[in-house]
Amino acid sequence: MKLREVRLVAAKELRETLRDRRTLAVMILFPLVIYPLVALITAQVLAARVTRVESHVSRVAVSGPPALSAEVRRRLAAPDVALSAGATQADLAAGRVDAIAAVAPGHPPAVRLAYDETREESSTARGRVEHLLEAPAEGARCAPAFAVVSAGIAPRAQMSGYLLSKILPLVVVVMVMLGAFHPAIDITAGERERSTLETTLSAPIDRASLMGGKVLAVATLASLTGALNLASMSLTVLEGTRLVGSDLKLAIPWLHAALAFAVIPPTAFLFASLMVAIGALARSFKEAQTLLTPVYFLCMAPALTAGLGDFRLSGATAWIPGVGVTLLARDLILGRASLGAALAVLGSTALYGAAALALAARLYDSERLFFTDEASLGLGAWLKHVVRGRAGREPGAPGEAADEPPTAGQALALFAVALLLLFLSAPLEKWRLDPGLLIFDWVGLLGLTSVYARGRGQRLAQAIRFRAPSPTAMVGAILIGLSAWAVVGLIADAILPPPKEVTEALRRTITPPEGGRGLAATLFLMALTPAICEEALFRGPILRGLRARFSPAVAVILTGILFGIFHGDPWRILPAALMGMVLSGIALAAGSIVPAMAAHFLNNACLVVLARLHADDTDALTAHTKVLLGTLSALILSAGIYVMRRAAKTRRGM
Amino acid sequence: MDEAAVVVDSLVKRFTAKTAVAGLSFSVAAGEIYGLLGPNGAGKTTTLRVLAGILTPTAGSARVAGIDVAADPLEVRRRLGFLTNTTGLYPRLTGRELLDYFARLYGLPAADADARVRALARALDLEPFFGRRCEALSTGERQRLSIARAMLHDPAVLILDEPTAGLDVLASRFLRAFVRAERDRGKAVVFSTHYLAEAELLCDRIGLLHQGRLLAEGTPGHLRAAAGDAPSLEEAFLRLVAAADGAPDGAAEPSP
Repeated sequence: MKLREVRLVAAKELRETLRDRRTLAVMILFPLVIYPLVALITAQVLAARVTRVESHVSRVAVSGPPALSAEVRRRLAAPDVALSAGATQADLAAGRVDAIAAVAPGHPPAVRLAYDETREESSTARGRVEHLLEAPAEGARCAPAFAVVSAGIAPRAQMSGYLLSKILPLVVVVMVMLGAFHPAIDITAGERERSTLETTLSAPIDRASLMGGKVLAVATLASLTGALNLASMSLTVLEGTRLVGSDLKLAIPWLHAALAFAVIPPTAFLFASLMVAIGALARSFKEAQTLLTPVYFLCMAPALTAGLGDFRLSGATAWIPGVGVTLLARDLILGRASLGAALAVLGSTALYGAAALALAARLYDSERLFFTDEASLGLGAWLKHVVRGRAGREPGAPGEAADEPPTAGQALALFAVALLLLFLSAPLEKWRLDPGLLIFDWVGLLGLTSVYARGRGQRLAQAIRFRAPSPTAMVGAILIGLSAWAVVGLIADAILPPPKEVTEALRRTITPPEGGRGLAATLFLMALTPAICEEALFRGPILRGLRARFSPAVAVILTGILFGIFHGDPWRILPAALMGMVLSGIALAAGSIVPAMAAHFLNNACLVVLARLHADDTDALTAHTKVLLGTLSALILSAGIYVMRRAAKTRRGM
Repeated sequence: MDEAAVVVDSLVKRFTAKTAVAGLSFSVAAGEIYGLLGPNGAGKTTTLRVLAGILTPTAGSARVAGIDVAADPLEVRRRLGFLTNTTGLYPRLTGRELLDYFARLYGLPAADADARVRALARALDLEPFFGRRCEALSTGERQRLSIARAMLHDPAVLILDEPTAGLDVLASRFLRAFVRAERDRGKAVVFSTHYLAEAELLCDRIGLLHQGRLLAEGTPGHLRAAAGDAPSLEEAFLRLVAAADGAPDGAAEPSP
């Protein structure tokens, strides 16, 4: 082996690999963006769950000789424990109490604590009671005051179901996804690599039928993978407990486990359609793997969150792709699924699958598939390309090449960097909220947009289309800014109502309880700053880049979705995405970013004022008030949209 | 007068940054072999893909068996047999399975499909390898199987994109004989190649394609004469290309 030749070969291979932008994207963006994003959302969901469980006041029933009972009651007098008397095991099983403490004489006195290990509130109650009762009695240095023996009341089958419900749904969903992964690549990108695509497309078959057949094949394989895993895992659990011994033997709820198979076909259909649609974009097997790997992890996130969190399968969660099926599988195993929720999950999953299939048929377009030449780029040229948009192009004459919009790839790259900045700034904001926010917005977001503009040889104002709007556009933006918050808030509240703690936390951010920040300072921090800095990035290069590649409607929707994701908190994604779409529509219609900034400022200012007046709790509103507020806001919003449309007729290009 | 089997009129096919076909017109009658000749990148494959209903014209029109390819590409595909330049056989299917699959896609009744597959297997000598997977076949065997696939529904028009590429002398001769026999059965054949000698041997008329335009059209003898009595078709092609490149706008007028 000669070192010189090794170096030569290594340099050539590195050069080739680094010229593949997709490899670089996965190598850099995946660990820096996808993992933190998934982790952040999962952590927030879990934190919300912990907060909910901890804020629950444990209902504990106490029985036994009067004197001992009184002592137990005295010991249990704590803010997070509510005492009651005379509960039965049936009350505990039905969730009417969280634990039953039966005290008997002894040295120390014995307390038999009954709890339901399949309910988190009950397990929390057990922990609290044990902690309070086992602390040494006053005067006694180390002997515990009571000898507590805790006993779960869940029957074996229920306990087995509980354990299975924690593991199986996640495993099934993940395995179905895994089962779809390679077949989806094989029948899309694989077909192109095997040069059989032209043969297929020359057959007298329409694209929808062709893609329907492909998706059906992938969904079948994915279903088989899911079913085999479910069966194998159930049998392994059964056989494993047999080997361990009778004491640990679990009674598997077979009927319920079998019912969980019902979620497999719609889940398989959804993931097969999605993966085939994405596979159809790829030009090679390798590229398809590169594109699908992040999608795989992103799809896993909702399933993981639903599997770990203790969510209810309700109207809203049933409609979230990946979450609904995971929760339905869990409820089927636990034997508590309702027909309505099951139909909502199966129906919505099939609907999303059909939408993904329609997308797949659209993407499997022979025009695109047969014209895939892409100029190869050197590493230096690639770096310039990232900044300037085209290989090796020098900045052109002012006002000509410099006015070209960014590419969609650059828009997504900017979004990825902004997400990264968001993660990096989190400790700063935790340390000191106000300076943290100011630094993140003005230095991070606006700085990123400025650096990008400079890299393209443009002034910041030019890159973000900061120019005088028409008076009509400003009137439209003001009307929208004053009304959109209410319409967006009511829609988001109806679809995915945030828990009270989340609303409380947001209110605390806007109006810190320790005070010290006046209205003007809050408006500067919470309304003006995001209106300038977030708009500059999202309605600047990100919207313009996406608009360069997609139709106005698609660009508006995509920018809105990215804006929603950027807000991180799962409960804020939907309202932020809707608001992002509204603001993108304003920017495109006006041909200037100024009206979007004005509308963003007014929107946030309204929310700040409402929070300071404690008038932002929609639960406190009567249905009548909600209808009135909704109607009035919708009327103003409609007027704003009408005015914006008039402005659009005389707009300049975005 | 009946319309020709293939009529291409002022066809333009433009991709994002490239015009592959720039105003091409020609027609092919039933019982005629028409050769589309040109170097790589001349626009032959794009033209054939438009004819096969795989790509949509940017401007102009193309009709196959009287049907507009843009208006009803599925019906066009039912009326023609398209042999791609890569054979494009599904590697994990056997020859028999492949033909059965396409027979069903073309909607042939089971009994007819069986008879047709047997007839083609005999005519193209497929039996020795009919049960083998396509990935295990030689280039010649794959090409014969591809022809059978394109001929299954007995189409009125055959479109063959460089069908002899990579074939040895015997296989090429076999293929040419088969194409002539189909022409004699009344099929219209559009045949693309960049082997000029082969085109001279096989084609009734030839269209010389350069940069998406038709430089000249006619019988091989006519084309040689049009290029100043060139000794061969290759020489005629080179002279015509040089003349066209000398006059940038100048696609030569198609000969009658």
